[in-house]
Amino acid sequence: MPKKIRKKHLLYLLFLISYSTFGQFSGTNLFESQYGQIPNDFSNFSSTYNRTLLNYTYNNFKAGLTLENYYTPYQDRNYTRLTQGSLQYTSKWINVRLGSYQETIGRGLLLRSFEIPGAILEDLSYRSRYYFQRDIFGFNTTLKLKNSTTKIIYGKPLNNVFPPNQDQSLRRTDEIFAVYSDYNFYNQTLGASVLNVKNTSGNQLLGMTTISGKLSSVFSYYFEGAKEIGDNNFSDFSSTSTYAYYGNLNLNFENLGISLEGKNYNNFIIGSGINEPPALIKEHTYKTLNRSTHVAQPLNESGYQVEAFYTLANASIITFNHAVAINNLVNKKFTFEEYFTEYSFSIKDKHDVKIFADYAIDPLKQEENRISLGAYFDWKSSKKSSLKTEFEFQTFERNGISTQNYVVIAGYSYQSKWIINLVSEISNDQFLTSNPLKSWLGCNLKYQVNNKNNIALFGGQRRGGPACNAGICYEVLDFKGIEARWNYRF
Amino acid sequence: MKLILVSLISLFATCLQAQKIADFRLQDSQNSMKSFLELKGEKLTVIDFWATWCKPCIKAIPELNIIYENYKEKGVAFISINCDGPRSIAKAIPMGNSLKINYPILLDINSDVKNQLNLSVFPTLIIINSEGKIVWVHEGYASNYKEEVIGELEKQLKAN
Repeated sequence: MPKKIRKKHLLYLLFLISYSTFGQFSGTNLFESQYGQIPNDFSNFSSTYNRTLLNYTYNNFKAGLTLENYYTPYQDRNYTRLTQGSLQYTSKWINVRLGSYQETIGRGLLLRSFEIPGAILEDLSYRSRYYFQRDIFGFNTTLKLKNSTTKIIYGKPLNNVFPPNQDQSLRRTDEIFAVYSDYNFYNQTLGASVLNVKNTSGNQLLGMTTISGKLSSVFSYYFEGAKEIGDNNFSDFSSTSTYAYYGNLNLNFENLGISLEGKNYNNFIIGSGINEPPALIKEHTYKTLNRSTHVAQPLNESGYQVEAFYTLANASIITFNHAVAINNLVNKKFTFEEYFTEYSFSIKDKHDVKIFADYAIDPLKQEENRISLGAYFDWKSSKKSSLKTEFEFQTFERNGISTQNYVVIAGYSYQSKWIINLVSEISNDQFLTSNPLKSWLGCNLKYQVNNKNNIALFGGQRRGGPACNAGICYEVLDFKGIEARWNYRF
Repeated sequence: MKLILVSLISLFATCLQAQKIADFRLQDSQNSMKSFLELKGEKLTVIDFWATWCKPCIKAIPELNIIYENYKEKGVAFISINCDGPRSIAKAIPMGNSLKINYPILLDINSDVKNQLNLSVFPTLIIINSEGKIVWVHEGYASNYKEEVIGELEKQLKAN
């Protein structure tokens, strides 16, 4: 058959299949362009980052691809790479995934993968930007019966310290195989899991058990305990053994909610860090507090967290949080303590106000007597627009030297369409500057074009430092310059 | 030229359909598994994606509660999907109860549904019609949130 005719038949076949299948494409695209510099840069330079996520769904099947691209004047930082690819079959009872997927066992003691939406990671060593996620590449199947769930997990978790332009063998050094199963009876769930991790250090076998449930209309609980079992020494809980446990109790009394959590982790970093035990530290949205979040150390950490919130009749909320984390590291004991309270309320049923106060002692950050105070105002200037202002102040002592941080934010928003704000920060932290004061001033503008498109612009200086988002803490770099971001959903 | 034309037509054919939601099953606040098909509304389903650490989400919930009370008898079902990860999931149910969420609260601790729908912002509110198609997506919270949601519900109820 002539080549030309064969091609024509294939094209018509493709055309017919398209119409008859009524499959659907969907996805997102994140594009960001920067012109500026980060610490250690001597001059400004421009860079562009793009991430396209494309899905095709047909009945119970779904295929996905993620393409990332980073371009700068420096060839060694650049890349264009398919960073994720997946095939998935989902039905009421079974879910099968091949390729890239995310999976967490229990509360993350053994395994946790994640994606921080919209976050682009960059560090001072590789200087390459990439999407902040930690997926697993392999095979996963979940069987969901009426009273039980069973998962079989195999694959190689991503080590996101290394950007996509590095050797892929560096990025996925751990090979895991895990089985998880649970059974639900009378509103209680009993679960168990076994995980084997293989890497250049050898094999490590860990077991985990969970129990959770509702004991009454006001009381529910969760407990998870894990231990290394490859050595067959199930009763060894000495300082050299590998074990972890986490538990929480929840109480609800009308408008009052109380959450109590406890943890004890010992030598519990698995592989290159494929797990993420619950930190039991409040993740704040206020800048000064978010930057000061204690990062859990699974090598050795014990502690607890209690949080209570009370909703008043007019929808005001009072929140109280207290957390303690004790680390025994390098033959020394470090005790982190934090007390936080917040009151959020409305004035005349339309203007919103939030005020907070926080006291903490953080020996790992060398911050003693850390006091943070702040207030946030959302003043409705009309039915569709509002003025937002925020003030934060923080002071602490480090090695006898007093340090202060200030944050002032002033903004305006019109419906969900336009948001503009000026962010100003000042600090005399000697870890950041040898000058008496360091300041940052930046302007953010966000425009929601429609349901599918939004554009965000930044100009000025943005302070970096630790940041915590969706339970994951990471380092953000200072940035000075201009930045444009476009998010598109299709 | 013909090749380009046919490829374009094929591509558009597959793009014509609005995104449909696939059935999912998640644990609810009573520790039992619930599916979307069990909870969906006769005419419309409203799903609110939120997290305990998300302040605008907490602001939006009392307004959604009011909308729920006004529309629950009109064939509109509401589902609250909490997307807290392991770090803060312990607070999800007490906070949901404290905020008086009277419709089902499901826990998406592994972000299965969130990732299925490619969501990246909290809060996100979606409206699904009786055919399972996502007809409206609203990201964030702003001063006329309640009016916007009600306006869209009325529009979709008329279209349905």
